[in-house]
Amino acid sequence: MQTIPTQRAEEDLRVIRTLMERATIYRAISAPTALFGGCLALVLAGIIQVREHRWAALAPEVVRHISTRGFAALWLGALVIVLAVNTWYVHREASRDGRPLISPAMKLALRAILPCLAFPAAITIWFFYDGYEFDNELLLVRAWIGFYGLALIATQHFAPRSLVFLGWAFLLTAVLMTIGSRQLEYYSTPLVPNAAMGATFGLYHLIYAACVWRSPTTPLE
Amino acid sequence: MLDFDKLDKAIHEKGRLAIMTLLATRVRWSFQDLKTELSMSDGNLVTHLRTLHKLGLVAQTKEVKKRPQTSYALTGKGRTAFKEYLRVLEQIVKAGKG
Repeated sequence: MQTIPTQRAEEDLRVIRTLMERATIYRAISAPTALFGGCLALVLAGIIQVREHRWAALAPEVVRHISTRGFAALWLGALVIVLAVNTWYVHREASRDGRPLISPAMKLALRAILPCLAFPAAITIWFFYDGYEFDNELLLVRAWIGFYGLALIATQHFAPRSLVFLGWAFLLTAVLMTIGSRQLEYYSTPLVPNAAMGATFGLYHLIYAACVWRSPTTPLE
Repeated sequence: MLDFDKLDKAIHEKGRLAIMTLLATRVRWSFQDLKTELSMSDGNLVTHLRTLHKLGLVAQTKEVKKRPQTSYALTGKGRTAFKEYLRVLEQIVKAGKG
């Protein structure tokens, strides 16, 4: 009877794991999620913009009509809805292919993404406690856009190029918004931060969805 | 130690094991991508793919876009065989440690 040494089996498993990690392509944002999230962001940005304009016409003496915390809460609400829809979509795809919901590829993606989201999460918590008093939506929005971009770029070792481009688009937008802070702050809040959210989380995601709609990738089983 | 005969010998060969591993990670791989990723010669890669195809472990698709392109994917049988191969390897490691 032939036997295979344990050492050889371990070495084979190590080679398999390395090859798989190197070759895995995982699209952290699927095209349908991007489409849904993009539409929701555009609709929300539109509603806030129209509402502010309407109230500005009715009561021009009031500088702002939506509270700073209300603005942040609305966008966080949109995030929760998009995450719920994405979870449902991933669950449906996983069930169809007989894969676990949290696949090894998803764990890989989460390990890359989560550290980048720690800082914007802290800024958001601070904003709800203290930051709102200084009408700091612009700072909050820059952190959201910039660190979201960084999170996408952090998946570059296993993400398709389109997702990395999307990450760079977000990051560069945040960089430009930071450089042009003085000019942006000149305009009344929350219209500028709202427009920035609509343009990035809305428009960028829609462009991304249109570009990748017909290029599915299957996560590692 | 476990019986070596339990391991699928078609997959156990180093080159074919690497091919099967890559095919398990995506829906399909083009010949060029496989060649680049594995740094194998054309002849060597073709021979291994032909062997796996004959055994029904790998499906082959030929497309003509701008130029002819052949892509490869694991068949259901191939996916099952690869999973079984991994299971046996893990058993060997466990038995060795236990």
